[in-house]
Amino acid sequence: MLAVAFLAFSLFRFVGDPITQMTGVETSVEDQERLREELGLNDPFAFQFARFTGDMLNGDFGFSYRTRQPVAEMIATRIPATLELGFVALLISLFVGIPTGVYTALRPRGVATQAMLMLTLIGVSIPTFVIGIMLIFFFGVQLGWLPTFGRGGTVNAWGWETSFLTVDGWRALILPAITLGVYQLTLTMRLVRAEMMEVMQSDYIRFATARGVPMRRIYFKHALANTMVPVITIIGLQFGGVIAFSIVTESVFQWPGMGLLFLESIRFVDIPVMGVYLVVIAFFFVLVNLIVDLLYVVIDPRLRIRDVS
Amino acid sequence: MTYDIAKTFVLGGALSMAALSVQAESFNWASTTDPQTMDPHAVNSAPVLSFLNNIYEGLVRRGQDMSIEPSLATSWEPLEGENGWRFNLREGVTFQDGAAFTSADVMFSYERASNEAADVRSWFAPVTEVRVVDDYTIDFATNAPNPLFPSSIANFMILDSDWATANDAALPARDAENYATLNVNGTGPFMVASRDPGVKTVLTPHAGWWDAATHNVTEATFAPIGNAATGLAALLSGDIDFIQPIPLQDVDQVESRDGFNVLEGEETRVIMFGFGHEHDTLLYSTDVTDVNPFQDPRVRLAAAHAIDLASIDRVLFRGKIEGASQLVPAGISGFSEANSDRPAYDPDRAKELLAEAGYPDGFSFGLKCTNDRYINDEALCRAAASMFAAVGLNAELSTGPVRDYWTQLREDDFDMYLLGWSPGTFDMEHPIRFLLHSQDDEAKLGSWNFGNYSNARVDELLPLVQQEIDPAARQAMIDEIVAITQEEVAYIPLYTQPLIWAAKENIDLTQRADNFFMLRWVTVN
Amino acid sequence: MRDFINRHEGLWLFTRSPAVIIAAIVAIAILFGALFAPWIASVNPYDLASFSLMDGLLPPVWQEFGTERFLLGTDDQGRDMISSILYGARLSLMIGVSAMIIATTLGVGLGLAAGYFGGRFDAVVMRIADIQLALPAILTALLIDGIARGILPTEMQQDLRVVVLTLAIALSLWVNFARTARASTFVEMNKEYVQAAVMQGQHPLRVMFVHILPNILGPLLVIMTVDLASAILLEATLSFLGIGLPADSPSLGTLIRIGMQFLLSGEWWILWIPTLFLVALVVSINVLGDFLRDVFNPRLR
Repeated sequence: MLAVAFLAFSLFRFVGDPITQMTGVETSVEDQERLREELGLNDPFAFQFARFTGDMLNGDFGFSYRTRQPVAEMIATRIPATLELGFVALLISLFVGIPTGVYTALRPRGVATQAMLMLTLIGVSIPTFVIGIMLIFFFGVQLGWLPTFGRGGTVNAWGWETSFLTVDGWRALILPAITLGVYQLTLTMRLVRAEMMEVMQSDYIRFATARGVPMRRIYFKHALANTMVPVITIIGLQFGGVIAFSIVTESVFQWPGMGLLFLESIRFVDIPVMGVYLVVIAFFFVLVNLIVDLLYVVIDPRLRIRDVS
Repeated sequence: MTYDIAKTFVLGGALSMAALSVQAESFNWASTTDPQTMDPHAVNSAPVLSFLNNIYEGLVRRGQDMSIEPSLATSWEPLEGENGWRFNLREGVTFQDGAAFTSADVMFSYERASNEAADVRSWFAPVTEVRVVDDYTIDFATNAPNPLFPSSIANFMILDSDWATANDAALPARDAENYATLNVNGTGPFMVASRDPGVKTVLTPHAGWWDAATHNVTEATFAPIGNAATGLAALLSGDIDFIQPIPLQDVDQVESRDGFNVLEGEETRVIMFGFGHEHDTLLYSTDVTDVNPFQDPRVRLAAAHAIDLASIDRVLFRGKIEGASQLVPAGISGFSEANSDRPAYDPDRAKELLAEAGYPDGFSFGLKCTNDRYINDEALCRAAASMFAAVGLNAELSTGPVRDYWTQLREDDFDMYLLGWSPGTFDMEHPIRFLLHSQDDEAKLGSWNFGNYSNARVDELLPLVQQEIDPAARQAMIDEIVAITQEEVAYIPLYTQPLIWAAKENIDLTQRADNFFMLRWVTVN
Repeated sequence: MRDFINRHEGLWLFTRSPAVIIAAIVAIAILFGALFAPWIASVNPYDLASFSLMDGLLPPVWQEFGTERFLLGTDDQGRDMISSILYGARLSLMIGVSAMIIATTLGVGLGLAAGYFGGRFDAVVMRIADIQLALPAILTALLIDGIARGILPTEMQQDLRVVVLTLAIALSLWVNFARTARASTFVEMNKEYVQAAVMQGQHPLRVMFVHILPNILGPLLVIMTVDLASAILLEATLSFLGIGLPADSPSLGTLIRIGMQFLLSGEWWILWIPTLFLVALVVSINVLGDFLRDVFNPRLR
């Protein structure tokens, strides 16, 4: 994480000059220079980095150049939106991906299977932003069924701004979640399919079949249960990716999450926000990795190495 | 002061007046950027000033036609025996927290806004002293006669001194937040009910506003939508009532749908190309490296003649732009009627001029443009580069986001560049001061004159223009400046940026030429 | 012929699947078009003097106002859509293929070495890979872009945009290769012939490249195909977010970004034709990747 912090910080120095974004057209050059001095932008680089990390370790995340708000607070208020979006996207990918994955594994030659496989291939091949725009255009503009931007109504539940508790919030969630979920869905489906096919060929299943256990029972009890172990771990790993990749979805749907905040910060050269965002993302990733690693060991001691791509 | 560019659009027709009823009318609108702060003195940027003009008020304000009208001051007159202005303040005005408004608040706000920590302090550069005469009279002394001063402070918003002091916000926040960054207490028609920066801001009417409300909005919600397609989709799907601006290419689409209206006007921003007058050599040329051909006015004129503005208008701007002859559009005070012709599209003439100047085969140079600052800026530059190429001026185009654009220009890293300029004071003096006067850091003149165009006569005329009270004499001097700079092709003014808003049919509102959106002129039918 | 096909299982599979055949044809056609764009395209979109704003926004030939000069219409600058797309595909493929090659070289090299040497070297490489994974591709690309901006003088930045973008994409893709190569190396290292080679005192490079690499070519080929598709998509996404290529050197992604402005305006062809083209390209690459996966991993059929 320190490495990410360092990368983040060192590189964002080059994104642009925050001062010209902070001041109006009529601000004199001297005033700009004084502000630069006040913000410590003229200090040597190593010194700036040391201050950045030092402050961060002390829990002081600094203030945004753009809005002058504390960065920690800005990011904290945006975390629920991103997590909820990622969570629902993940649910969609599971609830659609697992059944279709099982189906396509059990009927590998069926027409429906071929169609589904083709669809998912197309699904991964369309850029996320195009999917989002198409959904907005169709369901928002043409049919007028669903809202096209923002989170709708949110309720503050114990400090967590949630859109799960209002109809409005759910409606606003549908399109972005589908957009973000499509890629994951394809991944889940293919993974389940591959695992399922592999498991079906294992001796254990063959033995069960031979013993005359009903096929339905074999499919859903034995085979699927076996499939779930690697699938769940890998999906867990994907969650970190979902959070990070929500940048594009958030930008298309003006979803007020961390990704949107990050994009805005780039535009305004808001270095503190960019730096902290990257560190937070890295933290999520490390956390998820850790949990999954633990699960992995607990569930599957053989520690299989698997190609996720 | 008259201003005829501004047009008032009454969308719903005559029925509107009937709707001024007491029923609850919520209004949702969107724009591309969120005001970055609620502090009226911290940032001098249009999104902030525009938004806060709904909440705070100045001594004077601009009407629907951009004219200056009384606001917190009921009248003003020049000081006797010295340079400056006396403002007579309105009595019985209260802030949104109930405190009374007096001259002490004006004094406090002046000190706050002219402090080093304030980004708007340049407004007060001519002010030498401010004196409270009594509770409702205040004097602003200036270093020279300054006829434009009252109109130059239309966006100088007044805070309550006790409120700001009590909440530790006596100075604008610079590197950290303070109370005034998120909270407001103005005298204006609306107050902030809730604010979630970057997401949404909810405004409610200020019941104790001194002026009679002409709107019928009971709750107004603002959301920034950065992506233009998403914003337009939000309007078309009915999620919002009004959006500013919409992309030009979508105008026909919105107009063709039932239930929506497009408001077209012109901003005061003139888009132009500037040159590196001061550079001795071209930075980006592959063939001419020992001189800077743009130092020759014939070459600059050739570039001007190469631009086919009619095609740019038809294809890129769908016929919505007006050509610009000078650095302000017609209608701005000081506009030089005598010099209102722009160089015609004439590629043959351009080639002749280039040949005369010694470049019969043209030359290559670097053209710098933004890609996220002005409407269609990148497309414009691509089109212009292609038009330049047609006469032999081979532009090496480089476009980038505005976030590091100004830095590059300040470092003189260009041969030719794109610039848009909106006269903050709505007077020709503003671009003369910033764009035409030679660079002079000491006197803070020519600070956006990146190529350092320099003409002794222009420099000499600027202070005279600033101090001249007689309109005819003043106009004569401005005409002379405009004539000189056209003759020398200091810049190539291209066109006035169009201003396109869109709203649902049941919304009445006013589009003001400074692109400020005033909630107090909104009627929901 | 039939015998030949039967003997080569891959080919046999190939002839049995219409989707794969179509994908191969599409991919080869696009590749051909991109390679020979300068000869096929009527207009060079890089040459500003070759097109005119007067021809801007013309619809495809089958619509009203369409002309035969521009079969698929023109964009807002008057550029022929077909030419733009061919040149765009050329650039996109160039970026995608170079990024993939760099990522493969880097990833496989590091993966093999990590698997071979193990220990601390392995730990360091995998730690770097983890960091890399923690930064999503978009952010990596952004960071690389940032470095380039800081290090390179402005006048070089324009010329090197393509290089920078390629590097950025390559750096966000190498981890997959490294992981696969490392895992396979672990497996191969335990096999007797490799052990024997090591015992004989053969040079590590020789062991890695002669004995181990050939055994993992199959899975690598699959990843390469899939990653080529990702690289092309990534370039499009970066361009959409405005951190890709400038508009005067249009890749497919940049064309789509420009087209996005016309999403609701009625000039559908400026957006949807390049998008369709991109999707067709990526789908066919993915179909081929899938096919390769089946060939190399018969158990999944």
